[in-house]
This record gives sequence, C-alpha cells and structure tokens, in this order.
Amino acid sequence: MKRTGKSGVSALRMGSVVMILLIALALLSLIALTVGSAGYTIKSIAAALFSGEESTIRTIVVNLRLPRLILAILIGMSLSTAGAILQSVMRNPLADPGTIGVSAGAGTAATTILLLFPHMTNAVPLFAFAGAALACLLIYTMAWKGGVDPTRIILSGVAINSVLGAYNALLQMLHSDSLQGVLAFMNGSLSGRSWSHVSVFGIYAGIGLVLSLFCIKGANTLQLGDEVAKSLGVNVSVTRVLLSAVSAFLAAATVTVAGMIGFVGLVVPHISRLLVGSDYKQMLPVSMLLGAVVLLLADTIGRTIAPGMEIPVGIVMSVTGGPFFLYMLRKRGKVSGN
Amino acid sequence: MEISGKGLQIGYGEHLVIKELDVTFLSTRITSIIGPNGSGKSTVLKAMTKLLPYKSGVVRLDGRNLADYSSKEWARSVAVLPQIHTAPPDFKVRELVGYGRLPYQKWYEKNGEEDEKIIDWAMKATGVWELREKSINQCSGGESQRVWIATVLTQQPEILFLDEPTTYLDIAHQLEMMQLVKRLNRENGIGIVMVLHDLSQALEVSDWIVVIKDGKKYDEGRPEDVITPKMMKEVYDVECEVVRIPGRATPIIAFKEISA
Repeated sequence: MKRTGKSGVSALRMGSVVMILLIALALLSLIALTVGSAGYTIKSIAAALFSGEESTIRTIVVNLRLPRLILAILIGMSLSTAGAILQSVMRNPLADPGTIGVSAGAGTAATTILLLFPHMTNAVPLFAFAGAALACLLIYTMAWKGGVDPTRIILSGVAINSVLGAYNALLQMLHSDSLQGVLAFMNGSLSGRSWSHVSVFGIYAGIGLVLSLFCIKGANTLQLGDEVAKSLGVNVSVTRVLLSAVSAFLAAATVTVAGMIGFVGLVVPHISRLLVGSDYKQMLPVSMLLGAVVLLLADTIGRTIAPGMEIPVGIVMSVTGGPFFLYMLRKRGKVSGN
Repeated sequence: MEISGKGLQIGYGEHLVIKELDVTFLSTRITSIIGPNGSGKSTVLKAMTKLLPYKSGVVRLDGRNLADYSSKEWARSVAVLPQIHTAPPDFKVRELVGYGRLPYQKWYEKNGEEDEKIIDWAMKATGVWELREKSINQCSGGESQRVWIATVLTQQPEILFLDEPTTYLDIAHQLEMMQLVKRLNRENGIGIVMVLHDLSQALEVSDWIVVIKDGKKYDEGRPEDVITPKMMKEVYDVECEVVRIPGRATPIIAFKEISA
C-alpha cells in the first residue's frame, strides 16, 4: 500500500519539489560559472580546470566565481531559514530578520565604524554581528514581561528599529561625503568575495543551519498557538527565545559577509509554504533550497544585467521582492500559514 | 483521582477575577462550571491547567501540589481544550492529533509505534478516523472540534477540561459533542470539567454543577438541586421555571416569555 506522508503534503509532492529545486540549483550554478564580464563555455571551463595549468579562465572561475557562487548559496539558505523560523516564532507571516532588529543593529554598528572610525573598517563584520546581536537582545529584553509575546516583540522591534534608523540617518547626513562604504553595506553585495569569506562564513552557516533543523518541532508546535502549546507542556517563551536566537545568529552571520540583503527571509518561506504546506518538516528544507536558488539567481542577474557594472544583490532582491510582496498581500488569505 | 483548588485567588495584573474559591473535581464525574459572562469560569479552568498562574491558594492533584509538577508531567494527567484554538489549515488531521503526544516526549523525540497506537485509538474514539488523511480546512466545524478532542485525548489525561466546547457548533453537533463527552467519561473513565453556557445541556449531561458568580462560588451540587428558579434569578437575573416532562429523566428550563 502506498503510504502518503503523514504531514501536510504527500511524499510524492515533496519529492518532486526538492528534485526540481536541486536541478534548478545545478543549472543555475553552471550558468553562474559561465556568464559574467568574460563569458566562457562550459567546455572551455572544463578544459581549463582539467589541464592543470594556470590560466585566466581558471583564475576567474576558481578564485572569483566559485567562492561567490558558494557564498550566494549559503547566504540564501541562511536568510530564508532565519525568516522561516521567525515567522513561526511571531506567528506572523510578515516577520523577517529585520523585525527583531538584526538589520538595524548591524547597520548601526557598520555605519558608526565606517563613518566615525574609518581606520577600523576591517572590523566591520565583527561589529555588525555584535550590533545585530545587541539590537536583538534589546528588543527581547524590552518585550519580556513574564514571558515573550509576539505582539510585544514586534512592537518593541518597531520602536527600536525606528530609533536606530534615525541615528543612522543623522550619521549619514553629517557625513554625506563619505557614504560609499555605507551604501555598499546597506545594499548587500557579494562583489569581490573570496575563498577566505567562504571559509569563515561556511562555518557559521553550517552551525546555524544544523541548529535550525533542531528547531523544526518547536516551530511546528508554536504554530498551534500559545495556549495549546502550553497545555501540551511546552515552555512557549523558552522555545521562542531559542528559535529566535538561531534565526538571529544566521541572519547576523550573513550581514557580516554580504551586508544587508532584504526580502529573501520574507518571500522564500512564503513560496515554500505554497509549495509544500506549513509543516516545517517539509517547509524548512524547501525554504533552504529555494533560498539558495533565489539568491544565486539574484546575484547572477545583478552582475550580468548591466554590462560594465554590478548591481548589488540586495538591490536586485528588493526590486523583485517588492512586487512579489504586494502580490502576496493581495492573496494573503490563501498564503498565510496561520 | 481528584483535582482540587483551595483558597484560590486568580487574576490578571492587579485585577482579581476569582476572589476566593474552594472547589474539587472528581475524575469519576462530568462537572460543569456555569455562571454569567465575566464571572471567572474560564479563569478557574486556566489556573487549574497551568495556563495561568494563580495569586494565592493551592491546586492539588491527588494531594500533590501543582507547583511540584513540571508542565509536561501535568499535561500527562490533566488536559485542556481552550475555547480558541487554531492550527495551520493545511495540517493533516492525523498530524495534529499526534501533537497530543508531546508531553511524553523529549524535544528531539518523535512519535513511535506506541504513540501511533494511541493516536489511532483517540481518532477512533472521537469518530475522526475516516478524516485522518484530510487537512483541517477540509473538516466542518463539528469535525474539527472532534479532531481537537482527539488531540487532547492522546495526552491520555485522567481529567479533561473543556472551555465552552459547543459554543461555535450548530445544535446537532452540540448534541453530538455532549454524547462524546458522556462516552469519554462513562466508557473511558476520563473525568470531564467543562465551562458551559447552555444550561439545558449542563442539566442533562452533568453529574455535578459548580455555579460561579462575581469570582466566588455561589453554589455546587447535583444539577437538579443547583439549577433552580431561585439560582437563575440571583445569578443570571432571569425568571424561569424548571419543568419536569413525563418520560424525560431530566427537567428542562422554561424561561419567562419575552414581551416587547
């Protein structure tokens, strides 16, 4: 007897979605390696790789395009995972890492260093991570009142995000002549990233993504609502804080390597929910894969669409994510998992 | 098995909803808590199911203090179905019912063979076995309420609290729910404590009734002793007669006719 999956969607459907995404990712990876300011055929790349000799093709593909490709995939996975988990924590389909201050915190720290302490520019990733963690901690501390309630987290987030935003705006106004670095950071870019970025971020992403798999049961339980979860013996507030921590860790780690990339964390979990339903056993892995596909696509478009210049991946994501977001709002009744 | 509250004061912030309450629920009985809106019925239920901390007093399960139980341990003996409960609409019935096993699992464990047997049993006992592969949004109101009862049944509770289990159901499904409740008590030996608004149902299905008024116990006892014109006047401020009909075991409540 054919046994269908116990959860939201049949094993067949889940299998096909995963298969299609894997094929898409493989094809896209091939394309990303071949296109760019210098276009190569797969054949010439293969020849250069297997010849063992140093060549321009080899340098460009192995030292520039490959690390960037791997980063795009890891960042896409991390951001969509962070968003997916937060949406269950908040029981709100519109939550993303920005909601809990990750973006504003990292942005504040980075802007401060870049504009006030430019000699410490190398330490921006470290400070951005610390800033994200601090802002997140601050929001949760403000929201804590014998437990954490999603509405209070979101409202504290709005308040703290607006204060930090104002500070950033003021700082940028006062230093309007040296905004180059700030703009690059704020718009999220993978330009010029190398193997050293991959090796550092790879560790963080690896840890975060593995941890996120342990969040699946908690995320599912939170979807049942606080009272039901509590009545089943679940410590709802502790679950919320732990899941938020994993999510913030992933999002903050991406900020240190690529600056701020919006919309992936919001949009990807939604499409995944449409594809395989709201059970995190299926939804989370699909979100990871889809996040990788979407970010790699956005980055590849960004670096090829306008010859001679690069459009930061963050901008590509926002430009394409915005309209999708509107579309989603109009269909929200059908999309929402809650 | 019995669950009792002594000297209970329960409230939100400064405001005390339950000012003083001593009450005992037996697992052999179906007990209904009745009282006007805002009298504190649901608050009692929340405090006794560890959903809401109480200000003072003590709740005991067979003599052992509620505070000495972990949430999971409590959830293995005492289950509750809150009045408002939501699940992602695409969750399958079987999947949702399976969450009732959470109190028996560590955070990394999933349902094993033994759990699956209990899930099967709960779905059969509540008549949702046929729906098991459907998703929640394919179920009618009455069906989904029974699915939720199945979910709390998989907790294998000794006492089950229900907060207005019939409120959103039509009359046929209300009666069906009352039948299910009665069966769970008589056949499966699960103690039932429910908040009810419909006094005729309370009269018919309960073994014991507790009346709450203004955060205090007004009266408790057998249905026919408690539900009287005097109580109805003093607690609800309505005029009625409690009438016996030949051939019916329980009396019915006839309210004073409404005049314009």
